Amino acid sequence: MPTVAIVDDDEAVREALGDLLMVSGLACECFEGAAEFLAARRVGQFDCLVTDIRMPGMSGIELIARLRNERAGLPVIVLSSVLDESTRSHALAIGACAWLTKPVTDEHLLGALAQAIASSGSGSKR
Amino acid sequence: MTATLLDPLESDVAGIAELASESIVILDPAGIIRYWNPAAERLFGWPALAVCGTDGAQLSPAPADEANAWSQLLQEGAWEGRIRRRTRDGDVRVAKIRRYLRYDAAGTLRDVVEYARAEPEAPGPTGADDPVPDRSMAASWEIDVAPAADILARLAARAPGADTSERDELLHGLVNAARIVEVNDRTARLVGGNRGRALMAGQSVAAFWPVESRTILADLILDALADRGSRSVHRRLASDGILRDPLVTVWRAGDDRPDRLFVAVDGAADDDRSYLYLRASEARYRKLIHYMPVALWQVDASHMGKIYAELRSRGVTDFAAHLDDHPELVEFAAASVPVTDVNRCAIELVGGAGVQDLIRPVGYLFTESPDSLRRVMIGRFSGRKNYSEFMKIRALDGRLLDVRFSVTYPEPLLELDTTIFSLEDVTERLRIETELRQLQADFSHAARISTLGELTSSIAHEVNQPLAAIMTNAETSLRWLARDEPDIGKVAQLTTRIATSARRADDIVRRIRGMAVKQAPEPVPVALNDVVQESLLFVRHEIETRGIRVTTSYARSVPKIVGDRIQLQQVIVNLLINAAQAVETSSENEREIHVATAAGTESGAVLTLRDRGPGIAPEHLGQIFDGFFTTKAQGMGIGLAICRSIVAAHGGDVSASNHPDGGAEFRVELPPARPAP
Repeated sequence: MPTVAIVDDDEAVREALGDLLMVSGLACECFEGAAEFLAARRVGQFDCLVTDIRMPGMSGIELIARLRNERAGLPVIVLSSVLDESTRSHALAIGACAWLTKPVTDEHLLGALAQAIASSGSGSKR
Repeated sequence: MTATLLDPLESDVAGIAELASESIVILDPAGIIRYWNPAAERLFGWPALAVCGTDGAQLSPAPADEANAWSQLLQEGAWEGRIRRRTRDGDVRVAKIRRYLRYDAAGTLRDVVEYARAEPEAPGPTGADDPVPDRSMAASWEIDVAPAADILARLAARAPGADTSERDELLHGLVNAARIVEVNDRTARLVGGNRGRALMAGQSVAAFWPVESRTILADLILDALADRGSRSVHRRLASDGILRDPLVTVWRAGDDRPDRLFVAVDGAADDDRSYLYLRASEARYRKLIHYMPVALWQVDASHMGKIYAELRSRGVTDFAAHLDDHPELVEFAAASVPVTDVNRCAIELVGGAGVQDLIRPVGYLFTESPDSLRRVMIGRFSGRKNYSEFMKIRALDGRLLDVRFSVTYPEPLLELDTTIFSLEDVTERLRIETELRQLQADFSHAARISTLGELTSSIAHEVNQPLAAIMTNAETSLRWLARDEPDIGKVAQLTTRIATSARRADDIVRRIRGMAVKQAPEPVPVALNDVVQESLLFVRHEIETRGIRVTTSYARSVPKIVGDRIQLQQVIVNLLINAAQAVETSSENEREIHVATAAGTESGAVLTLRDRGPGIAPEHLGQIFDGFFTTKAQGMGIGLAICRSIVAAHGGDVSASNHPDGGAEFRVELPPARPAP
């Protein structure tokens, strides 16, 4: 079962996303900030990352840049309410594979997740 | 007092004085004869041509008498008596004359008019034994001793030589109980103040008679009452500051009116300020009042004063409650208290055609605000010196005016019973104030919208978070329900979360709508600590995403303030955004804002907001609250200007300084809530 990491500072959003992925047959783990995610992750643990942009501490953009520098190869989906076009193109330019705005429909999110997991090559760890 | 004669020097109908059978002479204030009619030519034998332009006193064989008569005329305004005047053929003619002073519109002495008739050659018997040579010049009184009947009876029953102090007391009681029936003009002028003859009638003789000579008057009254022949009794008094060596004469009115007595007081006015001086001073005073740029009403509420005194003697202390039970008393005052005089400005204010339109009972001033009259009455009853309030009046031409109404009550015993109303038209001022308030509200609303604009992405984020959670939870629920065996427990949990998130979204929208909607400021008692917490919610996201720490310290004993909640939030939000921008570029451990509340001096509330940014350049300290002053590339420079205008509108003060340990510190002081009036 593919495992998805969720980074969002809002607890209600984290819980909702977690439940959606669970009912859709995906495993997931939630983090309230980029720093928490970076501290907890292990190589190959996650098949995809869903992150917010505006967060206290490290922002979503910083997180994407960090992962790209590490050549982590982890597909990243941005799920944010930021409407700023330059931020969006910047995120996509530095390696985000999708930019979804809140609120998002389950079809969109699950579709993007399926695509991201498939494109990450490994498909599944198992 | 002023002669109604048409002035032969000025009038086109000079012929009237020319044809008069009585001698008419007009002299200027220096005593120079200016006009001399044909009757004067016949009486004194001098043709007008010979005497006009000469000093009238030179015609007198006794210049000292003439000088006395002249000075008494100038002091009293009128003189009546006998003069002797040399005729052309060397005889001396005795004439009975009346002289009056005449004044121009400004109150300055213009001239003297003298009417004269020949005195019969042989003085009549009455003239010889008349103790008062100029009876008509006396200050005369008619008094009624019927109310003193008890005292008279006790005095009559006393053994002669008994305790004199008790007798003195009874004599004082007699004068006190005796009532004035009528007085002449001179009496009213000398002792009546400005009350006039009509107001003296019915009052106690003691209210006007000098205290030193009351027992003498009482003795004279007893003597006169005892004299069966109705002869007059008289005594000369010591000068009393009113008249010099006055001679008091008392006689009974007649057998048909046994309780009535006449009193005549003769003597020259003993006042350094002569009548002329007083007349001029009064004229100046009247002129001053007349042209005063404040609308003034003179009102005679003396009869209300008596009613109040009577109510007090009956034990009424809570006059407001009394008026609640007797609203007719207010109506009575409105209909019965007369306006006795008004000035020019008063006529302009209410738009009357002239004084006569305003000289009527005061009710017309209170048609729009009857409660104001009630409060004016309560003010007088409770012994206040003055009272003032804002009220509306209906002008005579129908305009509705906002006025500041002030009343100055008469001071008992010190002055005449005259109440003065002054009305100041504040219609225009109130209109401008309303416009300014509206402008200020528009301005601060515009600034709030601009602030919200700056916070758009934060707000979108804040609203979208719960919306995102709601949508995802709803869709997840649908997925659970679509399963072969729906997990109702799970769906219930998700639905609960949906409701929670929906409420959260609602709170946020409500908060923002408060800032965005344009509404008139609504001052209510608010707790400063609450307003600070609400303001922090607004910028929480903005501050968190910039990695700024906000520390707070709320004092527990902050007094409540009165203010518009939204506007106060706006002040704090502006200051917070300002501080956030100041520390944005600081190193991480310096990105800190400290907010504190405290009780202020004079029981107000104080908010201080300190950042650890670079502080304010000293040369900018004086300007940062000025509109359109900004050091930021994108700033409009209205945030702090708005803060100052809002705080000022709340009666408070906002100041900025640099903290000794670095960073800027803003201090907002707000006055305490006043107890509701």
